[in-house]
Amino acid sequence: MSLRDNIRDFFHGAAYGQYERELRLRAAELNDLFLLLCYMEVVGLPNPATLYLLDIYPYLLEQFHLWHKRMGMDKSPLGSLPCC
Amino acid sequence: MRALIEKKVLFFGGKGGVGKTTSASAMALAASKAGKRVLLVSTDPAHSTSDIFERAIGPEPVALLPNLHGLEIDGDYESKRYVTEVKERIRNIFGHHIQKEASKQIDLAASMPGAEEMALFDRIGGLVRGEDDRFDLIIFDTAPTGHTLRLIRMPELMEAWIRALSRSRQAMLGIEQDDKTDPVMLSLSGRLDHLREFRARLLSPRVCAFILVLVAERLPIEETARAIDQLDDAGVTIGGLVINRVLPETSPDPFLRSRHEQELVYLDEIDRRFKSRARVRVPQLPSDVHGVPTLERLAELLLTEKALSS
Repeated sequence: MSLRDNIRDFFHGAAYGQYERELRLRAAELNDLFLLLCYMEVVGLPNPATLYLLDIYPYLLEQFHLWHKRMGMDKSPLGSLPCC
Repeated sequence: MRALIEKKVLFFGGKGGVGKTTSASAMALAASKAGKRVLLVSTDPAHSTSDIFERAIGPEPVALLPNLHGLEIDGDYESKRYVTEVKERIRNIFGHHIQKEASKQIDLAASMPGAEEMALFDRIGGLVRGEDDRFDLIIFDTAPTGHTLRLIRMPELMEAWIRALSRSRQAMLGIEQDDKTDPVMLSLSGRLDHLREFRARLLSPRVCAFILVLVAERLPIEETARAIDQLDDAGVTIGGLVINRVLPETSPDPFLRSRHEQELVYLDEIDRRFKSRARVRVPQLPSDVHGVPTLERLAELLLTEKALSS
């Protein structure tokens, strides 16, 4: 990497780093909301679409894992949703 | 009522015990005789189609007569089948570990209250969308009114729900990645397309009509009036009214004569309150309707223009 690239990256980070952090936080929040909507019955809310969400459960497993890690929990806090 | 057999989907509804199954079966028979390939579907958990045709009918279409198949939808069977299908689908996409975990969740979700009703709804949706191309006309013999009206409203509710979910997903993907390739998004949009098509066909006057069956008595009249309001509200076409078990006009028996006079009051009320709807009066038959011969007589009655009083 040349000095020119380093300088460019430095300014890029200085200018956009803050926004990127914000965006990542926002994305994570939206993702949590989506997870909640999909797993409503796990927290005791009736979900009319449960059956239609079965196909996407496997995709959500990974996101669920990321969620409980992000929330500072090493293991899944929900008995009905085993993770690690 | 003859025009009705040109539609793709007919629902027969009404209060319990007024003769929905008999009317639906007679209509199915009439349509099959007119050359349509008909599937008669019972959605009432207390199936009685098999009693009328005097043979066992299961959760898969069974040939009853030439051009006529019967099907008794079973919530438990449908939810099991649905779950098996989903598991089959994920088998090819995911590794063993995820599959095992997901399987646990899928079984749990499928045992939730409402899952059977939901699977039933999905099956009805598939039939209404014309998934099974062996049939020209699908006739639903439904459970009593309240239950059915809920079912008719369901595509709209589910559509709103799934749309909310895909919006939420889209908002997130908009930030992180492309939503054209996201499998979750694809699955949700597929669902949404199906629900839209289901609703569009349900509301199309060319495709679908609802026939209300009643007898000339106080409570069925009130329930019919309510059902008409709700169906109008939902935008479903009302094909007409079948007024079942009308007593013969002249009878030497004083008891029957007095019953008939009472009935005339209600028949007048029906004519007055539902004058804008097509109506067919089906007379009380001397014996119970079961077996094909009696049903044939009823089928003729349903389709002859003479029976039409408007």
